[in-house]
Amino acid sequence: MKKGQPQKSRARFLGALALITIAFGLYWALVQAPRDALQGDVQRIMYLHLPSILTAYLSFFLVFIGSCLYLWKREKRDDNLAHSAAELGVLFTALTIIEGSIWGKPTWGVWWTWDARLTLTAILLLIYSGYLMLRSLIDDEDRAALSAAILGIVGFLDIPLIHMSVYWWRTLHQPPSILRPDKLPWENVHPAMLTALAINFVGFLLLYFYLLSLRLHLGEVRSEIKTRRLNQGAF
Amino acid sequence: MKLLRETYLVLRKDLVLQLRRRDSLLTMFFFGTLLLFVFHLSFDLVPDRVSEMAPGLLWLAFLFTGTLGLAQLFGAERENQCLDALLLSPLDRGALFLAKACLNFILMLLVELVIIPLFWILFNLQTWNLLPQVFLIALLGTLGFCVLGTVMSALTLRARARELLLPLVLFPLMIPIILATIQCLGAVLRGGELGDALPWLRLLIGFDVIFLTLGVLVFDWVIEIE
Amino acid sequence: MHLTVKKLSKAYGFFWALKDLNLDLVPGELVALLGPNGAGKTTLLKLIAGLTPASLGKIELDRMPLSRASGSSRAQIGLLAPAAHLYEDLTVRENLEFFTSLYGRKNDAGNISSALASVDLGDRADEFVSTLSSGMKCRLSIAKWDLLEPGLLLLDEPYGVLDGSGVDLLEEFLKAHCRKGNLVILASHHVSRVLKISSRAIILHQGRMTFNAPRQQPWPEFDQAFREFLPHGEA
Repeated sequence: MKKGQPQKSRARFLGALALITIAFGLYWALVQAPRDALQGDVQRIMYLHLPSILTAYLSFFLVFIGSCLYLWKREKRDDNLAHSAAELGVLFTALTIIEGSIWGKPTWGVWWTWDARLTLTAILLLIYSGYLMLRSLIDDEDRAALSAAILGIVGFLDIPLIHMSVYWWRTLHQPPSILRPDKLPWENVHPAMLTALAINFVGFLLLYFYLLSLRLHLGEVRSEIKTRRLNQGAF
Repeated sequence: MKLLRETYLVLRKDLVLQLRRRDSLLTMFFFGTLLLFVFHLSFDLVPDRVSEMAPGLLWLAFLFTGTLGLAQLFGAERENQCLDALLLSPLDRGALFLAKACLNFILMLLVELVIIPLFWILFNLQTWNLLPQVFLIALLGTLGFCVLGTVMSALTLRARARELLLPLVLFPLMIPIILATIQCLGAVLRGGELGDALPWLRLLIGFDVIFLTLGVLVFDWVIEIE
Repeated sequence: MHLTVKKLSKAYGFFWALKDLNLDLVPGELVALLGPNGAGKTTLLKLIAGLTPASLGKIELDRMPLSRASGSSRAQIGLLAPAAHLYEDLTVRENLEFFTSLYGRKNDAGNISSALASVDLGDRADEFVSTLSSGMKCRLSIAKWDLLEPGLLLLDEPYGVLDGSGVDLLEEFLKAHCRKGNLVILASHHVSRVLKISSRAIILHQGRMTFNAPRQQPWPEFDQAFREFLPHGEA
């Protein structure tokens, strides 16, 4: 497909840019940023952990947007967006949990703990894994897309409620105030740390959009194959 | 209003069917009772700890029992393609949603009316005076469960492995209800009143209202056939 | 009820069940929908009934697009499939009461009793549908649609389960229904019977319409088209 060519080179450019930015970010995170006073080098995983979870949230927001658009217009590409974003969201959420676990063992002494953030992240993973399971278990494609779109919307709207309830649960005897995650365990934030964080965040965003474009393209190709097979099967 | 009239029609039809077949009600009731026995055997509960664990155990029992009800919710419609008949008719989809959610709600309430006192008996709790408050909280939690559960039940209607998929997609979304109900029940069993747990009650009611509205609006798409 | 169908197509996965169907049917017609198994008759009926979405094409009732949202236009469409759309654990009377209430039609006892009497089920009014034979269930369906008076009535193979008197009943009912200005489409294998009462014949073969003409006496074109696709005579 000729029209794929400029898309492909755009995607490659994005991918290359992502790679460079992350490499740069890693350098900044591992070398330039100072060692954390309290936690030592283990804290450096935060430079990956925070961008991971933020990217995951972005992804789930895209699932919501894709689902709403699909319900409204019933265009395949909106469904493709929702599906792709859900897959990537699950990937980045899983990454976040693993990174959090790696950080947790030396810091808290345990691989897992039921603090608010981790629990919430795990719940997100469950919701969107459920989304993917729903899609794969419904045979009719249009029906699957429709059901998934509704789940995508209902799930997303539920997230603030889940957020609230999990944070209240973990701060039982304090009056539930604004929904802020517990503060990051840093005393003062060194500017170099912020820079490292910022660079990595940008790098992760680029990586995310690179992967998203690949996955979207894959979805489009699958759709195209199905349409062609269908048209060929017309007697 | 047309919506309420149609809801009533379908609900009445389902209640009559339930009365005649009694399959959902009986299986839910026996399953709930069975769970209580299993819990008692699994958790070696000393009298002091029972009060603490009661909210969680009760809610687990209701969750699983309710899921059983949800799985059978469209059972009558599956034979003879009656769901087609309903969709063919001028029936408002929102009315279908309300009727089914109400049906499950009524079934669960009936089961809870028996299971809660049974729990008090089996686990030797003395706080019988707290039962009205316990019922009220359970009612609100059950409402949220039925509302969200009906949407999910319809969503998974045509999926493979439906009985497994339904809890899989439903339970994570139910977490606010689960937490809120257990916190409220816990507060009541500890201190005889809600007190600190009032925000949880508000969350519970808020959840119920939000998803009830959402369900009515969204059911049109949810129940589309094929 | 005026039914217009333009380039209607329906695909199931990779298989076209219906392709490029065009129809223009006027009130008062009794249309025979013929064709071998798998020709697409049931699919066409389900599409017109709005029970399944079309892959391509449009359906219009009285010049308005068939839209699932409109409750009042749905009330004008009836689908009669033997033994379907009846609640087994409700009595005969309760089934009729339920559906007439749902459709907003009069459902006083007198109306229902006379409808039951006209299909010879008067004495079974208070028995459960599960105790009825398929033929009786079909008659109950006839009584049901008699009470509901749809502008467009679709029938899917009713002849199979009916005995002699049942068939006469059905045909009387259909003729009366058309005389009132309603449109009837009757899908069946029992060609000669159906042709006797119909005003038009449509033949479907492998998802395409191969014949569509008003009835004539004699009808050499029909005989020829019929023989081409059903070489062994009546199915």
